Amino acid sequence: MIETQSLSKTYGGGEYALRDLNLKVDKGEFAFLTGPSGAGKSTLLRLLLLEESPSEGEVIVGGRNLSHLKRDEIQAYRRTVGFVFQDFKLIQTKTIFENVSFVQRVLGRPVEEQRRSTYQVLKWVGLQHRLNALPRELSGGEQQRVAIARALVNEPHLVLADEPTGNLDPDLSLEIMNLFRDMNARGTTVLVATHDRELIKWVGRRVIQLDHGEMVGGPESRL
Amino acid sequence: MSVVGYSLEEAWVSLRRSGRSALVSIGTIAIAFVTLGGFLLVSVNVQGVLDQWLQAAEMSIYLHDTATAEDRLALEQFLRSQPMVAEVEYVSREQALEKFRADFPELRDITTGVGENPFPSAIEVRLRTENGGDAAADNLSKEVAGRPGVSDIRYDRRWLQRLVGAVTTARLAGALAAGILMLGAAFTVAAVVRLSLYARRDELEIMQLVGAPFSYIRGPFVVEGLLLGGIGATVALIVISILYSTLSRWLGSDLAGYGGIGQLRFLGITEFVMMLLGGVGVGAAAGTVASRAVR
Repeated sequence: MIETQSLSKTYGGGEYALRDLNLKVDKGEFAFLTGPSGAGKSTLLRLLLLEESPSEGEVIVGGRNLSHLKRDEIQAYRRTVGFVFQDFKLIQTKTIFENVSFVQRVLGRPVEEQRRSTYQVLKWVGLQHRLNALPRELSGGEQQRVAIARALVNEPHLVLADEPTGNLDPDLSLEIMNLFRDMNARGTTVLVATHDRELIKWVGRRVIQLDHGEMVGGPESRL
Repeated sequence: MSVVGYSLEEAWVSLRRSGRSALVSIGTIAIAFVTLGGFLLVSVNVQGVLDQWLQAAEMSIYLHDTATAEDRLALEQFLRSQPMVAEVEYVSREQALEKFRADFPELRDITTGVGENPFPSAIEVRLRTENGGDAAADNLSKEVAGRPGVSDIRYDRRWLQRLVGAVTTARLAGALAAGILMLGAAFTVAAVVRLSLYARRDELEIMQLVGAPFSYIRGPFVVEGLLLGGIGATVALIVISILYSTLSRWLGSDLAGYGGIGQLRFLGITEFVMMLLGGVGVGAAAGTVASRAVR
C-alpha cells in the first residue's frame, strides 16, 4: 500500500529529516511508526499527505507515484486518504456533524447520502448523540473520535495518524487505539506515528522505528 | 451542494462575521460608485443642455435701428442662398422684448423701467455644420458684417465647442477620479477578504488537508468580494437616487429652466446595470486576487 524508495528529505541547512528511507506497508496492514522526537515520523507522514515534497527518492501509495501530482490531483489523492492529527484539527465554528459531513459535501455527494454515512460513522465512534455540538463542547477523547470519524467517512483504503493519542490520557488512548484496530479489521491499512511504547506493546503490531531520519531495527521489528 | 451554493453560504456567514470591516469595505465601494454615478448624472444632463444649445440659433445678426426693410430682405435673401444656411428667422425688436420677458419674468421690471425698447431687431441663422464647419461660418460672418444695415454679429458656436471640450475634459477627470476611487475600493475589498482568509486560516488548512477542491476553498472568498462589491454598488445607486430626487425636487425646475432642457434626466437602465455589474466585477476581481493567497 505504501512504499518509499531511497526517500530523503532535507531542510534549509542541509540537515536530513529523513535519509535514504526504504519501507513498505502492505495493504490491510496495521503498522506503527515510532522513534524519539525529531526522528522523522511527522516528516514521513507530511510526505505521505503531500504537505511537503521529497528532496530525493520516491513515495508510492496504492501503486501510484506521488512525486509528480498536480495541485488538483493532490487534493483528489488526499480525499482517498484518512488522516488523524494530534491536535484533532476540527473546524471550531462547525458542528460535529458538519465537521464530518464536510468532506462529503465538497465532493458533491447527495445530501441524503451525506447524512446517512455521517450518522453511521459518528455512531461507530459512539458520538451519535452529539451531532449538533461544537468541538469546544467535547472532551479531548471525543474530539479525537470526531477526527477519526471524519477520516473514515469517505471509506479510505489508507488511514494515517500522527500522534493521535498525544493529547489524551491512557484510558482514552486505548479507546482510540481500539477504533484503529476495528477499522483495520475491516480492511483499512493503518499507519500510526507515536512515541508511546506502552501503547504499541498493548496493540502489538509491526513497528517501523526511525532515528535521526533513518530506519533502525529492521523492517519486521516488534516491541 | 454545488460549489456556487456552498460559496454563497460560506461567504454570507463570513460577511456577517467580519462586521465592521465589511461595512468599511461596502462604504468605500459605495463612495467610489456615488462619485462615478454623480459624474455620470451630471454628464448626461450637461450633454443634454449642450446638445440643445448646439442645435439652437448659431449666428445672430443684429440690425441697426436705421436698417431698412430692403436691407433686411436683401440680407435674408443672401443668407438663404448660402448652402451652409439651414434656416433664417427674423426677430423684430418687439418679439425680442417679449421673448426676454417670457424667459426672465423676474427681470420684467427692468424692461419697463428703461422706457424705450432696448433690444435691436435681429436675424437668427441656423447653420449646417457639415458644410465647411467653423471656417465657412467665419467667412459667412465676415461677409455679412460688411452688408448694409448690419450692426453686430454673434457667432456662439465656437465658444460652445470650447465648452464642450471643457466638459469632455471635466468628464475625463471625473472618470479618472472615479477610477482611482474604485481602485482604492478594490484594495479595500481585497484587504477585507484577506482578513477573512486570516480569520479562517485553520479552517482553510483543514480543508486543504482533507482534500477539498480549490474551487471550494477559494470560491467563498471570491463570492465574498463579489457580494461586497455588489452591495456597495447597490448602496451607491440608492444614495444617488435619493440625492437626485431631493435635488430635482429643490432645484430641478430652476436648473432645468436655465438649461432649457425642460426636465432633469436620471441615469438610464443601462447606466444602472453597468454600475451594478461594475461593483460586482471590482469586488469579484479583488476577492479572486486575495484568494490567491491560498496555495
